Amino acid sequence: MKKRYWRCFVCNDIHYGVAPPELCPTCKALNAYVEISADEARRILGGGPGVAMTPAEFREAIERFAAVNEFRVNPDAEKVAMLIEGIFANEANHGLKYCPCRLRTKEWDEDLKLVCPCNFTIHETYKGVEDGECWCGLFVRRK
Amino acid sequence: MATLLMFHGRECPHCKKMMPIVDRLEQETGVRFEKREVWHDETNADLMRSNRAALSSKCGGQLRVPAFFNADTKDAVCGEMEYEKLKDWALKQ
Repeated sequence: MKKRYWRCFVCNDIHYGVAPPELCPTCKALNAYVEISADEARRILGGGPGVAMTPAEFREAIERFAAVNEFRVNPDAEKVAMLIEGIFANEANHGLKYCPCRLRTKEWDEDLKLVCPCNFTIHETYKGVEDGECWCGLFVRRK
Repeated sequence: MATLLMFHGRECPHCKKMMPIVDRLEQETGVRFEKREVWHDETNADLMRSNRAALSSKCGGQLRVPAFFNADTKDAVCGEMEYEKLKDWALKQ
C-alpha cells in the first residue's frame, strides 16, 4: 500500500500514511484530512518558522520517546554522543538522520527504514532478546 | 591471498570497538583488511553497495557495519564480535 500525504483543512497538520486519521490529533477536527502532493507537504512543513533541531534537542526528543516505551536510551554516554554525531553528520551530508551503523542503499523506501529512530523492535538484535538493543546500540531494552 | 575488506563507519561505535581487534588479528596472523569507511567516502559506499546482495544476506538484510567481506568469494560476516570469531572467519578465507 502506497503512503500519501494528507493535510488537515482546519489546522494544516500534515499526515503521511496510507489513510488519513479520522480525528486530527492537534485540533480534534473530525474527517478533516484532504490528500495533497508530496511537494505541497514539503512546502508546508518547510515553510514555517522552525529551525533545525540541535543534537541536544534530538537527545531530549529520543529520551521522551523512549520514556513511554519498553526501551531506553543507552546509558553509555560516550556511545550515545558518537552515534548522535554520526546521525547529524548523515543528515548534513545525506539529507536525513540515517543510522551511522548501516549504509543507505539509495532506494528511497528502503532507506527510510534507516532513519533514526528506526523500527528496531522487529530486528533480530532486539525482538525476543532479553538484553536486546537496536543495531547501533542507541536504544536498549529497559530492565 | 584473498582480498579482505572491512566496511566501517566513522561514527559507528561497533566499528570503533572492532578496530583494535582487527589490528591485533593483522599483527598476529598476517591477514590484511582493506579498511573502507562508507559514510564519508562515496567511492567506498558505492563499493559496499555493489556487493549488496552478498552482504545483506549475511547482515540482517541490510548494509550493516562493521562488515568483513571477502571480495573474491563474496563471503561476509558482520557486527561486533570476539577476536576468535573474526580470526576463524579470516583464516578460512
